[in-house]
Amino acid sequence: MKITNEIKDNTIVMTLDGELDASSSVLLDEELSDPEIMKYSKILVDCEKLNYISSAGLGVFISHLQRFEDAQIKLIFFNMQDKVRNVFEILGLDLLMTIVSNYEEAMTIADE
Amino acid sequence: MLNNKNAKTLLVISAIVSWILLLSSALLGAATVRQTGTPSAILPYTNNFLIVAFIVSVFFYQRIQSENLKGIDFIGYLWNLFSKAGITAYLGIGLYLGYLLTADSAESDATVLLQVVYQVNFGLMVFFLAKAFYIWRQLLLYHKNKFLQIAWDWFEVLLFSTLLLTVLNFDYSSYIFLPLLALLSFYILFLCTNLKWVAYLTFNKKGRSLVLLGAILVSCYIYARFFYDLSDRPELQIDYFNVGFLLLAMLFVGLYSLFAFLVALFSLPTSSVFEQKSEDLLNFQRLSQSIQQGQSEAQVYETLFESTIKASDASAAWFETIKNSATQLAFEPFNISQEEIDSIKQLLVAHNIQSVDYINNNLDRNAGFHDLGIPWKSLIMLPIHSKKHQFGMLYLLKDIEQGFDRETINVLKTFTNQTVLTIENLRLIAESLQNERYKEELKIASQVQDSLIPKSFPSDSWFEISTHALAAKEVGGDFYDFLQLSESRIAIIIGDVSGKGISAAFHMAQMKGIFHGLMQQDMAPSEFMKQANSALSRCLEKTSFITSALYIIDYRMKGFMFARAGHCHTLYYNSMTEDTFYFQTDGLGLGIIRDKSYANHIREMYYDYNPGDVMVVYTDGIVEARNTANDEYGEDRLLYMLTQTYHLEAEDIKCAIINDLEDFTGTDILYDDQTLLVIKFKQTQP
Repeated sequence: MKITNEIKDNTIVMTLDGELDASSSVLLDEELSDPEIMKYSKILVDCEKLNYISSAGLGVFISHLQRFEDAQIKLIFFNMQDKVRNVFEILGLDLLMTIVSNYEEAMTIADE
Repeated sequence: MLNNKNAKTLLVISAIVSWILLLSSALLGAATVRQTGTPSAILPYTNNFLIVAFIVSVFFYQRIQSENLKGIDFIGYLWNLFSKAGITAYLGIGLYLGYLLTADSAESDATVLLQVVYQVNFGLMVFFLAKAFYIWRQLLLYHKNKFLQIAWDWFEVLLFSTLLLTVLNFDYSSYIFLPLLALLSFYILFLCTNLKWVAYLTFNKKGRSLVLLGAILVSCYIYARFFYDLSDRPELQIDYFNVGFLLLAMLFVGLYSLFAFLVALFSLPTSSVFEQKSEDLLNFQRLSQSIQQGQSEAQVYETLFESTIKASDASAAWFETIKNSATQLAFEPFNISQEEIDSIKQLLVAHNIQSVDYINNNLDRNAGFHDLGIPWKSLIMLPIHSKKHQFGMLYLLKDIEQGFDRETINVLKTFTNQTVLTIENLRLIAESLQNERYKEELKIASQVQDSLIPKSFPSDSWFEISTHALAAKEVGGDFYDFLQLSESRIAIIIGDVSGKGISAAFHMAQMKGIFHGLMQQDMAPSEFMKQANSALSRCLEKTSFITSALYIIDYRMKGFMFARAGHCHTLYYNSMTEDTFYFQTDGLGLGIIRDKSYANHIREMYYDYNPGDVMVVYTDGIVEARNTANDEYGEDRLLYMLTQTYHLEAEDIKCAIINDLEDFTGTDILYDDQTLLVIKFKQTQP
């Protein structure tokens, strides 16, 4: 699992590369727990290279969801592979989280 | 074969007897001379025989005695020699002086008295020589090799063979034997160079041994002088100076004492170096033995700290441990205040040399250090680190320039390397113990999990159910359960707790409790999910959630009600329409939203079943099972399997699906729990 952050103004584009399982979800949790991240108003998560997400990985996003919402930080997922999206959908997370098809769409929604 | 005790008694007796005989022979001889004026002709042979018997008895007695000497208490050896034998020389000379004083007043008995004094001194000297001879042997053969042992054995044989000269009454100073004796003297010279034991004496012990050796040398001198002076006195019947053996033994004892004295004297200045090295060695041993002794990391660091201060003779030092890149003083700094440490560290941080060996042998030339006004002129910084971890940092200071030379640095590095090894081993041991405990806990957890899953379902005429549950190596979070609500109604729940291990097993147990608790009140599945969500919200950790699906089947109504909370879609075969499909319903997992708004995210569904319908309920371990090419088994393949097998009994459908799944994954390694329930509705029998 590789996590890279790209910062543009008030937006963080976080790229997830690999499999998000129990061990790599610790990395993600560290990344999202970073107080620095609260300075930005938008977090766009690029899931193009995310091949697999385990319940531990989902748990990390779920645990931060409320915090971002309270701080009015928008969390948007884009470029998600079908099988990963299916996992989100089965769990019902697609109704709670914003999942869009590509970066442009993500930027438009983020700017609303 | 005589044992040692008997041999010793025998030797003591023969020594005493031969000595008394010698004395009486001497006195008799003196009396004969006085009466007849000519000495007896047979006497020399008898006397020589007695002398040899006495010498041999005493030497052999000491030889046996010396076998008790063991260990490396060299000072003890020397003290033993001096206090038991060396002192006799001083007694002997006292005796002689006493004789000289009385000889003046009592003229007539002077010869007799001289005989006695001479005889007594002879006995004491032989005793001294014998004792010294065998104690020196013990020291000489310290750290011996085979060659040295043989050389010594030959020396003993040759030396004792010179007694033959005495027995046969040859004069050793005749030209035939003199070269042989000279050769033997060279041999002695060679033997006297074996003084390894001196090197093992510390500075203090060398001082004490010098005193003792000096006293022993004086003893040798007294005896040699006494017998030399008295050798040509006509009134003496026996001249022991003529016994070549004694001369050689005295030469050996004296020379060896002298050599030892000189070597000890001249090695005094270098003994501190040797002491330092042997202490370093001992400290290395202490470090490497820390593991067996079950010491803690702090104790290992303390050993390192003390050893390196001693090894480098540092005038100040401190040690920091590093944990999660934060440094912390491990224990009291040595000769340095906290303020001084802080100021030095600030300078070092500015140099940016956190994890390298840093040696500055001339702090005064560095402006920064010079301005600090600290009394030290040399600094060495030694990181304690392995390839992966940095454990700590050792700082040593010295008040002289060029304080840390290459030799010292090598020793210090050996210390730090040994410490790293020791610490890593200690951690490995702790880790394996922890693992062992963890495994034990997992075993308990999986037993708990196993006991939470029902082993048998109620068998009834209107439906059949078949289950499959396989836990991954670690304890997973799959569970299922049922509750008979009334005669015609049964509730079946399936779920998956996120996470693994003990916490998952724990949440499973909670979920089972919630299921049984809430369903006593017989509520609709959606209501159950809402209440379960509210109950779990209070006890589930933030990153955990539970997916679940609850089915309430009513065979009188021939229908079932169900709600899905983020769990896998239910696979269904409708025998009327001959259609196989997934129920596409919405439903959010439990514990994701932890307030009342959860109610908006759960849907309930009612479905009428027909006899012959098949319901397949499962967890994500089934559809997300992967093969070696990393492809997932998937919902499509599962659906296809049901279209091929719906006509079979529930048990056979289950087996077919599981066989297909095993064919697909190909390996025995399970990444997630797999749970599969196949429910087949049947025509009700009257």
